[in-house]
Amino acid sequence: MSVAYIPVQWNRFKYWYDAALALAVGLYLYVFVELGPGLLGQDPPVTPQIHNARAFGSCAFLMMTVILAIGPLARLDRRFLPVLYNRRHFGVMTAVVAVSHFLFVFGWYFAFTPLDSWEAILFSNRAYGSALGFPFEALGIVALISLLILAATSHDFWLSFLTPRIWKALHYLIYPAYAAVVGHVTLGVAQSEPLGFPILVWAGALLVAGLHVAAWAHERRRDVDSGAGSWEAVCRPAEIAEGRARVARLSTGERVAVFRHEGRLSAISNACAHQNGPLGEGRVIDGCVTCPWHGFQYRLEDGCAPAPFTEKLPTYRLRLRNGFVEVDPRANPPGTPVTPLEAGA
Amino acid sequence: MSARDEFFVGFFPVPPGLRAFLLAAGALLILVFGAVGWLAATAQRAPEAGGFRFDLGEQEVTGVLQLSPYPLLYVTEGNERLPAGRTMMLSGGGKFSPPQAEGMDGTLVRAKGVILKRGDLDMLQIGWGPEALTPLEGAAAIPAEVPLGRWRLTGEICDGKCAAGAMRPGRGLAHKACANLCVIGGVPAVFVSAAPVEGSEFLLLAGPDGGPLPEAALAHMAAIVTAEGEISRRGDLLVFRIDPASLAPI
Repeated sequence: MSVAYIPVQWNRFKYWYDAALALAVGLYLYVFVELGPGLLGQDPPVTPQIHNARAFGSCAFLMMTVILAIGPLARLDRRFLPVLYNRRHFGVMTAVVAVSHFLFVFGWYFAFTPLDSWEAILFSNRAYGSALGFPFEALGIVALISLLILAATSHDFWLSFLTPRIWKALHYLIYPAYAAVVGHVTLGVAQSEPLGFPILVWAGALLVAGLHVAAWAHERRRDVDSGAGSWEAVCRPAEIAEGRARVARLSTGERVAVFRHEGRLSAISNACAHQNGPLGEGRVIDGCVTCPWHGFQYRLEDGCAPAPFTEKLPTYRLRLRNGFVEVDPRANPPGTPVTPLEAGA
Repeated sequence: MSARDEFFVGFFPVPPGLRAFLLAAGALLILVFGAVGWLAATAQRAPEAGGFRFDLGEQEVTGVLQLSPYPLLYVTEGNERLPAGRTMMLSGGGKFSPPQAEGMDGTLVRAKGVILKRGDLDMLQIGWGPEALTPLEGAAAIPAEVPLGRWRLTGEICDGKCAAGAMRPGRGLAHKACANLCVIGGVPAVFVSAAPVEGSEFLLLAGPDGGPLPEAALAHMAAIVTAEGEISRRGDLLVFRIDPASLAPI
């Protein structure tokens, strides 16, 4: 959390995170590139350039799979939230590994040709109407361009410049990119090589899909359905622990997080102004709601980030009726002060 | 217990209650990457034997150059490995036919290059520079082409260079674009037959007119297909004049 844009906001945790990631990627590439030929015992071996392309390509797929698993895992088990904290470094490293894969392919299969290499990669195989021999390279290019866009716009400058809504929508590109990679493998490797690697890819894709469904179902169960009306019920006051929130899904489709702090209740939008992180899963620290994703903070009484920060959230009015906390589903403009509701013990 | 004891905020120290979990998650991540790397590496099929025979050194032979359907050399004065009477397919460097061969159809030449070989499929990659393919005075006869009739074959259309081991693997659908580029560049196209024809597992491919493979056939590159056409023998090389309309995937 910073008011100035600096290239990378390092901290101790990020160093450890990136070191573990670099070790994992390094181990993958070492096992595949250095030990692989010996493990296979092939004589002659796969051409080194092709072997390297396979190593980096398959590593990039595994990295994308883990990246997409982190979000739902953090929803299902809060202990994974720290893994989500530095996910953008994971994404940038994935783009670097994917570019390496591309360079090995481009500099080998599509080099030393009478055609321009870009023309060669796009048009040397034009069987776009056939699954058999489909130009699977095009799907890889779609995924690579998506990863590069995501990496290039991962910095908070772009988040602020594009606005969180557009930035978030843009970063959903990871899903079509992932689907393109699955297609890239299915229409490429699976048509020429044994099914071992494609099975790994399909298992990874199933795991990602399964985790997303499980997280969605988990969230549906946890959310309070506030019903519909001019005021919507959330829960009894005692159901909200000190320093924590209950999240309610309003009839408007928005999610509201109702926090208890020092015995008083306040309601703000559940979506963090930074990356739409789930504020309702955060905590009140130093009197401010703290986002579980990246630690952005907001005052409960007006939804504003403490100075010198400028982020603002919509606030909601609360009242007590028949022993229930009720929320007015009409959100106040971001930064509107609302007097906290005395809720007692 | 304060809110910070169990709640992770990136710019604060990791809560003690989470440290063991995060260390275990990091270790698991590293182990999973190593294990998947091993699984993915060992899932690769062993490529077919074949490749450049640099160990045999540069070959230097004399012969008659033919440019249709693709560059060929009928060897008239050879050596132990490329004896007189062989008809060798030729390629240049990369995905090209030998550029020095242009305009030298029917010329007696001295050729220098490196052998590529997989099974009974071999090729001579002509070196760079004009000295790798030099015209000679005189002439030599080439054997007449012997027609062997119309055949229907099952097999794969490949570029002869990668199929001979310039790339491993050098066949299959994942290699289709590369094979197309080789053939577009003038590297001889071959048909790797599912069953030997007259004792040979591969045949040089030509269009119905005896020229290079027509573009329509490129759509079937690297797939297993059936194809009909006229087969003839040119020296010790079989030539399959493929009828593109007969090409059908299996």
